[in-house]
Amino acid sequence: MADHKHDAGHAHSEEHFREKHLMLDPLPRGVMNDMVMESMTGKPTWKFWTVVIVLSAIVAYGLVYTWAKMIAEGLGIAGVNRPSYWGIFLVNTVFWIGISHAGTFISAILRVFKAEFRRPFTRAAELMTTFGLVQAGFSVFMHMGRVWLSYWLFPYPNQRMLWPNLHSPLTWDLLAITTYLLSSTMYLFLPLIPDVAMARDRSTGWRKSLYKVLALGFRGTEGEWAHLRNAMNIFAFAIIPVMFSVHTIVSWDFAAATRPGWNSTIFGPYFIVGALHSGMGAAVVVLAVIRSNMKHMDYFIRGEHFDAIGKLMLIISMAWAYFFFNDYMVQWYGGDKWTHQLLHFHEAGPLGWMWFGMLFCNIVVPWAILWNAKWRATPWLVSTVGLIINVGMWFERYIIVPISLTINRMPFTWRMYNPGAEIPLGIGTLALFILLYVLASKVIPLIPVWEVQEGQMAHELKKFGRETVVSVSELE
Amino acid sequence: MTEENKVVDLLAVFSDLEPSADAVEQLRALGVRDECMNVISGVPVTEAMLGRPAQWTNVPRIAMGGAILGFAAGAFLAFGSPYQYPFPIQVNTHSFTPGPPSVVVLFELTMLGMLLSTFLGVFLDSFFPNYRPMKYVPEISDGKIAILVECSHVDEKKVTDALKKLGAESIAHVEAQHL
Repeated sequence: MADHKHDAGHAHSEEHFREKHLMLDPLPRGVMNDMVMESMTGKPTWKFWTVVIVLSAIVAYGLVYTWAKMIAEGLGIAGVNRPSYWGIFLVNTVFWIGISHAGTFISAILRVFKAEFRRPFTRAAELMTTFGLVQAGFSVFMHMGRVWLSYWLFPYPNQRMLWPNLHSPLTWDLLAITTYLLSSTMYLFLPLIPDVAMARDRSTGWRKSLYKVLALGFRGTEGEWAHLRNAMNIFAFAIIPVMFSVHTIVSWDFAAATRPGWNSTIFGPYFIVGALHSGMGAAVVVLAVIRSNMKHMDYFIRGEHFDAIGKLMLIISMAWAYFFFNDYMVQWYGGDKWTHQLLHFHEAGPLGWMWFGMLFCNIVVPWAILWNAKWRATPWLVSTVGLIINVGMWFERYIIVPISLTINRMPFTWRMYNPGAEIPLGIGTLALFILLYVLASKVIPLIPVWEVQEGQMAHELKKFGRETVVSVSELE
Repeated sequence: MTEENKVVDLLAVFSDLEPSADAVEQLRALGVRDECMNVISGVPVTEAMLGRPAQWTNVPRIAMGGAILGFAAGAFLAFGSPYQYPFPIQVNTHSFTPGPPSVVVLFELTMLGMLLSTFLGVFLDSFFPNYRPMKYVPEISDGKIAILVECSHVDEKKVTDALKKLGAESIAHVEAQHL
């Protein structure tokens, strides 16, 4: 009787593991393929079309019309002024580049460290990187004003044989963002090839033609897998320093200037941690939306994934708090008159609520919620925290860019910044990001099925004494 | 070509890794050379798992080549381009080729060269894109493992029997087709 009870307990425990862990709950590959295909090819609902139409309208007004108007009437309508030459365009550039860090962090860093929970959502995060960088690019181009002359930045000599100054942080931005955009797009595409080949084998009509072209003739031969594996390993290691360099260089746009509030040696890592903070927050929001709106996604994306990301968010939040305080402390202790003035303005100026809001969103909320394992595994709660973190991180960038520009060493130029066309343009980029994602979800397999299957092959339950534990084999 | 020398392509589909590895071993025992076999799978099954010789890949070498080219391009932009002006503009005592900022340019272009060439390396080594007819069955992307065997007509029955005995779900002559 006692034995029977024990066996029943063991069986329950195995069932519990299967329910909890995707890697221990394998389905036949064909079934998983069908689930992913169905999530893409299912007939769009009225909700889908409503979202697409509303987002398209916002893009048309916020991005297309307002940008055209700004080009016709000049940058004056944007809202930037003296001394706040940089406004929401630059806030959004930093914000979107920050969002883009989540993809690389999840896909590359977690791949290098063989964090198994990453498997089902690497692609969803990589897509965020590519689409986020597109918005960052748009924000820079808007800020340029005469966008049609943007090619002047390219490294080639003009008619007077003058080359752009490649030793300036602004040209580094061009190099770093271009490198990162190209690298992350290639890194998105390489692991996508086997899934596109899978989609090719199951499609008809225009989808078949599209997937046939994108699959490049991939069959899954030993050679093809070997080349792909090698390339993905190189990418996983090499794209990490590229990711770090991008946001460090963005931080140098500020830190290399001898301005109060900006001239900080810690800005590089502070920006990187901030980018990861907002990126992970955005990733968890995207995952929650995918899970609740796309068919079968609750099989692939489970509470364990939100729990794992929640832990990362908590650690990153602590790191952000450390860097924030470190930056604040040194500036405060430095005793420079104008820096003190600026710090006081941050906290007690007309936008002081934003400074406190930043601390509340980036530290108080994640610390208050993410310490609890049960709450961390609750998708709506973790994604709400992710959303709040993103509000906080946007506040942080707003404080660093236009608010910090308000106070300088020449009090006669002090003037508040009031954004104009930058607001609809910013909303337009947000709408375009969501729209691209919504449309991509109908064409790109958001779940890397082969990676999930590979992970499921590597996982098993083992008994150590009377305890059942998860065991992972290293297959590579 | 005589009937005896005629070569046939057989595609045996297995549902699992273990019998596939056994089949590779059995085929070798029957005299089928490694070059005449190709394992096709929907998940990355390593050569070691199948007991197959390691695949040669040029991707790391192509990546290294790209990194060197990228570094050279970065060196030109960082150290060469400032001297391309007909009348170099001297700003105070600033160097034309300052060290630390040049490191940034060198780093970015080296990484860009390396990653671009890694990507192209996959295309070159795998002969992508390839839209010609190929020997393939769609079941492979459903998780099946297929062994494509090239053997002489006279050995066909021997090979087929051996593969069937090892649990092949299907064994068929396969014609190249558009995917």
